[in-house]
Amino acid sequence: MSSVNGAVPTTIIVAGLALAGYALVMTARDRRMDVGLLAALGVLEILLLVQVGIVVARLAGGEHPAGLATLIGYLIAMPLVPVAAAFWGLLERSRWGSAVIVVAGLVAAVLMVRLHQIWPVIRV
Amino acid sequence: MTSPEPTASQPGSTRTGPGRVLIAIYALFALAASARAGVQIATKFGNAPVAYLLSAFAGVVYILATVTLAVGSPTARRIAVVSCSVELIGVLAVGTWSLADPATFPDATVWSGYGSGYGFVPLVLPVFGLLWLRRQRTLSVGPGAVPGAALGSVPADRDIR
Repeated sequence: MSSVNGAVPTTIIVAGLALAGYALVMTARDRRMDVGLLAALGVLEILLLVQVGIVVARLAGGEHPAGLATLIGYLIAMPLVPVAAAFWGLLERSRWGSAVIVVAGLVAAVLMVRLHQIWPVIRV
Repeated sequence: MTSPEPTASQPGSTRTGPGRVLIAIYALFALAASARAGVQIATKFGNAPVAYLLSAFAGVVYILATVTLAVGSPTARRIAVVSCSVELIGVLAVGTWSLADPATFPDATVWSGYGSGYGFVPLVLPVFGLLWLRRQRTLSVGPGAVPGAALGSVPADRDIR
């Protein structure tokens, strides 16, 4: 459990930064969101949902952080990030759609760090 | 990258092209600042009332900027300019205040330390917001509105008053 606990957020950070880098290259090369970028967002979404599941399992086990309300807010907002980015990418059929995905990748990575700050048992 | 936005549609619109990125980041900060302030005010208002009220104010300003940039009508743009200006003044004032008088801020606001807790994005965002609004104003209103703006193709249906 503890190894999985640390592995998933770390994977999300790496995946988020990689996605941001990829999307940044797309933006720089004036490419709009393509199937590859959409698939990468899908992978990030699955990872985030796994992380939500891990945290919910811990909460169900009876443990609580001091800032429970904030944590629940994060659990709700986290899986929405790639979904929102995908919609933005579909809506804005230009390089700026890809630029929004840069933001989403960075946000996913930052969210993992924040999650650890809210509840230190969630290791990164 | 010879041309700044070769595939961007609708010149003069505040919500397309780079505006989409701005709105995404504004929406993120609107959510983060107001949700955080809501939780803080509801659970521990006595700890740092000034900080929490300032966070709530910042949240309102971000929501206003997000909505007005997305709407993009002439009135909305005017409100957006005010929002971004208030935001810039706010981050500079609160940033200075938080460094000069840390006792008032036992808990951080979005604007503490010029937004250092948020990678200084709160400091940079209003600058980009104002630049974007100015640029799109010259595109939508056309030549004459801002000296030196030389643009031939201004669609007649754009936000012209």
